[in-house]
Amino acid sequence: MTTETITPTPAPALSRGNRKQARRNTLIGWTFILPNFLGFLAFTLIPVLAAFALSFMEWTSFSAPKWVGLANFQRMFASDSFWIALRNTVVYALGHVPLTMALALILAMLLNRKLKGIGFFRVAIFFPYITSLVAVAVVWNMLFSPDTGPINQFLHAVGIAEAPGWTSSSDWALPAVIITSVWRDMGYYMVLYLAGLQAIPTELYEAAEVDGASAWQRFWNVTIPSLRPTTFFVVVMLTVSSFKVFDLIVVMTNGGPGRSTTVLSQLIYQEGIGEGKFGYSSAISLVLFIIVLTITVLQFKIQQRRER
Amino acid sequence: MKRTTLAVIALAVTAGLGLTGCAGAAGPAEPQAADGKTKLTVSVWNYAGTPEFKALFDGYEASHPNVDIEPVDILADDYPQKVTTMLAGGDTTDVLTMKNVIDYSRYANNGQLQEINSVVDKVGKDNLASIDAFDINGKYFAAPYRQDFWLLYYNKDLFKAAGVEDPKDLTWEKYTELAKKLTSQADGKKVYGTYHHIWRSVVQAISAAQNGADQNSGEYGYFQDQYNTALDLQKSGATLDFGTAKSQKTSYRTMFESGQAAMMPMGTWYISSLLQAKKDGKTNVNWGLAPMPQKNDDGKVTTFGSPTAFAVNKNAAHSDEAKKFIEWAAGEEGAKAISKIGVVPALQNDSVTAEYFKLDGMPTDELSKKAFTPGDTALEMPVSDKSAATDKILNQEHELIMVGEKSVTDGIAEMDKRVKSEVLGQ
Repeated sequence: MTTETITPTPAPALSRGNRKQARRNTLIGWTFILPNFLGFLAFTLIPVLAAFALSFMEWTSFSAPKWVGLANFQRMFASDSFWIALRNTVVYALGHVPLTMALALILAMLLNRKLKGIGFFRVAIFFPYITSLVAVAVVWNMLFSPDTGPINQFLHAVGIAEAPGWTSSSDWALPAVIITSVWRDMGYYMVLYLAGLQAIPTELYEAAEVDGASAWQRFWNVTIPSLRPTTFFVVVMLTVSSFKVFDLIVVMTNGGPGRSTTVLSQLIYQEGIGEGKFGYSSAISLVLFIIVLTITVLQFKIQQRRER
Repeated sequence: MKRTTLAVIALAVTAGLGLTGCAGAAGPAEPQAADGKTKLTVSVWNYAGTPEFKALFDGYEASHPNVDIEPVDILADDYPQKVTTMLAGGDTTDVLTMKNVIDYSRYANNGQLQEINSVVDKVGKDNLASIDAFDINGKYFAAPYRQDFWLLYYNKDLFKAAGVEDPKDLTWEKYTELAKKLTSQADGKKVYGTYHHIWRSVVQAISAAQNGADQNSGEYGYFQDQYNTALDLQKSGATLDFGTAKSQKTSYRTMFESGQAAMMPMGTWYISSLLQAKKDGKTNVNWGLAPMPQKNDDGKVTTFGSPTAFAVNKNAAHSDEAKKFIEWAAGEEGAKAISKIGVVPALQNDSVTAEYFKLDGMPTDELSKKAFTPGDTALEMPVSDKSAATDKILNQEHELIMVGEKSVTDGIAEMDKRVKSEVLGQ
């Protein structure tokens, strides 16, 4: 993380009074951010740094931490559970990010017109996002129920005899979770895309039309490039949230059946809070942090190259 | 563009570092001697929904007017984590309720609890069920006040309707036969012969108890028969299938109280809720109790259970008062106080059992009374620092066997392999 301190360009030959004024301004600026920054310091920054330090220690919370060097990491890379959780997390992200983006964009295009009652549809699509996550998980679990659930009833009706067991099957549990999370998140990202769409100047479309561009060409050559900043923001946010997914999976499958939907954040919780191995679970969170940081930095690099 | 990029970085970072807070009860305020009374703090879970605590506290306050008990209420799901956090932070809550023996062994072995041999001796070791679970090299750091064990609940009306006798002296074979016989589909209402809840204990703990085996051993061949029984019941439709029960988050209470299950192996904690549900008119199920089905046909009854105990915090603000309270709660007075609301006390003697069966709404037949005095009650999970990690693995593999993704043999082989490598380090 880099923070730039923005210093006002000094006017030539500052008089003493001016310098005093400048210092006062700086002080006032600091006091404005202080309350929030203190909270951030106490509840986020310091714990995060402490967790990094704990990655190299063994600590059961009752006795003093013991320095063990890289032992936690050796154990992690030798454990099946870690690799399974990493694989599940990556699969989840690869499913969740593109699907949510595509659906959010399609919905935004559909709802980006002036019609009576369009507001209702926008709200309807956005609604899952503000619904309690536990309620969402429980309802979808019922929909996915292997024998009596409406989804499988429907599949049987259209002639699919061997409908998947969804959350009670290792192969289908992760797709089931992805479907649920896409349905839940698409409304939020749709709103972001709507804002992006509405910021595109209509002149561009008019000019393209005069030049005889088809609807598809207009979409491809005007809409997509104009939405680039929005898309970039959406991708970053979605990627970070995919790697941190926890609550939905805990309520829907709790990592099961077996370990088929256990993700990294859940492994961190199980090992640390569940079994009291705080050092080991901090090491896993450090790895998760590095993965997310690397991906985000890469995304920024790619974005910067595009902007040039 | 630069500025937007910065804003995006700032946003992404805040999103990335956003912490999900977890709700927990606030720590107790420093106990003060208000109006000359001693304020005794006790950690409890779900105070409103667990009436035994109120019964004990009210009973104690009535006979000890100089003490004021203050519950430190914690969410049931977060309880072990929260207590661990409290202890690590040097919290001074006087009495700590030990929700299970695995947590107990962790706290005791880490020197977080006071030794209370004197209390245990005064209550009397011989009368306290499962007191051995709390013995750490001859020292006791907690005294059990309640003891839950597993038995078979059954629906008398469904038994009558199917024309079968009460479930006396069941072996697992007879039980399976009976369950299939009791399964019926009448005018759109399915009645299952039995209901096996999704917990691994339904298969594994009972199997370990009846085979005299250790669930931390890393050798699980003895689970074989019990899994075959469970899968056979599931395949024949005599119980709700595991996948459905899991994805619908089926409530075992609903299954039994709505008459969808003729039998159900379950712990004795369910008795008090069942009595309450009947009192509130939520159900009219005509129920009885029977001993758990057995592996052998020799008339001996072996089941499993888990005690709940009180311990004194090493940093307690009022150690002596805390010990006095535990002595009362684990003793006859406390036992009678919780018997009155249908909770099974750890102190077992004839007068307590008699008191228990006087409860309004309790079945009074001989079989139910017999179910109440099992011959042998093994611990649900052994007291060991390895139990938590083993529990997780056994649970994951249990799910895979029950949803039919792994054969019983493969599942057991995987349990052996994983517990040996991940927990025992072999």
